[in-house]
Amino acid sequence: MTAKVISGKEVAAEIRADLKKKVDELKGKGVHPGLGVILVGDDPASVSYVTSKSQGCEELGIYDELIRVSADTSEEEVLNMVDKMNNDNKFSGILVQLPLPDHIDEEKVVNAIAPEKDVDGFHPVNQGLLLRGEECPLPCTAYGVQKMLMVSGNDPAGKHVVICGRSNIVGKPLAAMLMQKAEGANAVVTVVHTRAQDMSYFTKQADILVAAVGVPEAIKADMVKDGAVVIDVGVNRVEDSSKKKGFRLVGDVEYDAISQKASYITPVPGGVGPMTVTMLLYNTVECAERIAGV
Amino acid sequence: MAEKLKGKEVSASLREELTKKVEELKGKGITPKLGVIRVGARPDDLYYEGGIKKTCGGIGVDFEVFEYPEDVDQDSFEKAVKDVANNKDIHGILLFSPLPGSLDEPIIRDLIPVEKDVDCLTVGGAGKVFADDPEGFPPCTPTACMEMLKFFNIPLEGKKAVVLGRSMVVGKPMAMLLLRENATVTICHSRTKDLPQVCADADILVAAVGRPRMVDKNYVSAGQIVIDVGINEDPDNPGKFCGDVNTADVEGVVGQISPVPGGVGGVTTVILCKHTILACEKQTT
Repeated sequence: MTAKVISGKEVAAEIRADLKKKVDELKGKGVHPGLGVILVGDDPASVSYVTSKSQGCEELGIYDELIRVSADTSEEEVLNMVDKMNNDNKFSGILVQLPLPDHIDEEKVVNAIAPEKDVDGFHPVNQGLLLRGEECPLPCTAYGVQKMLMVSGNDPAGKHVVICGRSNIVGKPLAAMLMQKAEGANAVVTVVHTRAQDMSYFTKQADILVAAVGVPEAIKADMVKDGAVVIDVGVNRVEDSSKKKGFRLVGDVEYDAISQKASYITPVPGGVGPMTVTMLLYNTVECAERIAGV
Repeated sequence: MAEKLKGKEVSASLREELTKKVEELKGKGITPKLGVIRVGARPDDLYYEGGIKKTCGGIGVDFEVFEYPEDVDQDSFEKAVKDVANNKDIHGILLFSPLPGSLDEPIIRDLIPVEKDVDCLTVGGAGKVFADDPEGFPPCTPTACMEMLKFFNIPLEGKKAVVLGRSMVVGKPMAMLLLRENATVTICHSRTKDLPQVCADADILVAAVGRPRMVDKNYVSAGQIVIDVGINEDPDNPGKFCGDVNTADVEGVVGQISPVPGGVGGVTTVILCKHTILACEKQTT
């Protein structure tokens, strides 16, 4: 069997096309989604993320504003910026780009964001709503994985989903989402991690396997059931002198071998990655709808 | 025959530990206090309240019931709950639910400060359980299950744990707590196909599905550890309770099992006291 490739680029493009229509409709009703981004310092990866978010906003007609301040900005100043955005109707979503410099308490800053504008879904109130299965902004990467499954016709309902990795950003939120009694969920979910005696015992049972362990090609072909759907969340740099940059990106799964066995697979790059920014835009629009009550 | 994991032994050991803690606090002039908020007088609530009162009394935790009539209106009830929330002498709060339909329960629950939320009724408390933040108290029932496993020296690291049921009072927080202890966790429910097989694959099975005696010998395997969280009205013995596990059917197969009654249930109220004492310590130091 050769796996069908679920292209994150294509799925993201579809979602963005729908979102653009939605934004136009909302504007017709007087609701204007807006994203406020705070970037402290000039970490190149953060700058690149923030740029792609702004571009996305522009493409979809979402108002966006970036506050960029130097790395020595005080915690109090950042908290003040968040507070202003919380109270400003221009913003339906607020994002503080992480990581923050060491002198700023990240948790304090994340907790200061109004939960209804927390488009990353990391606020404790939103984590609570997520676990309960109530409506809230969902963490973008996990949300992107769920969308990719649904768009590719792989509804997790009744399936055994095995998630490798238990981070608060991907593994646990995805588990919490897929175990709920809800559309796009209703799965049997197993969360497995590096402390398991034999991870392959679980991965082999998966109808849908999600790899989010952060170890290059940790999931080998013999760990995957024939016909499984394999979603690779990992983005790892491995040295490669043949590349201009000196490295290439690989996922958490052994792509070539597994694509001979799986029914569906996501590539790296071009898989889950492009979904994350798109789901952030999606959350910005959903937050605007919820705040406006439309 | 399976060994019975008796809640009594766990409660006794916990009570001893907690009584000492309360004595120490009292030595510093501090008495932990639990506030129970009740609307109306449902027999279930009164029964539970009686149990809590007794447990608190035994350990030395103060206890006060705030009782309101069933027709209390939203505004005055909100004000009343806020008063309890702001009362510095009260360190832990339990609100009996469900509230009458005329009240907006989610709004009222979230009036409880997270640091006094000893049974995870608030959304902020749930978030802390999700994020493994020790500042939040998980609900008492799954905490009682964890306490049982700990007391009987049942290793969790690297083990296969299966949680049957996905309620917010047990299943979902239970999954989070087992993950914290480095178990591999599967959460399954009534919509799961091959449910018996999924359950039988576990080293540790936690049954919290709320269906009398549903877990029979098809759901278990040799040597398995079974924690029965169910408290159901027994369809065969009116007025009696039974668990989610058909004990007679499985006790020849599994290694250890918690009975109903006499298992997790009794530990739960002791955990409520434990959380109140911990909350008191945090609020007074």
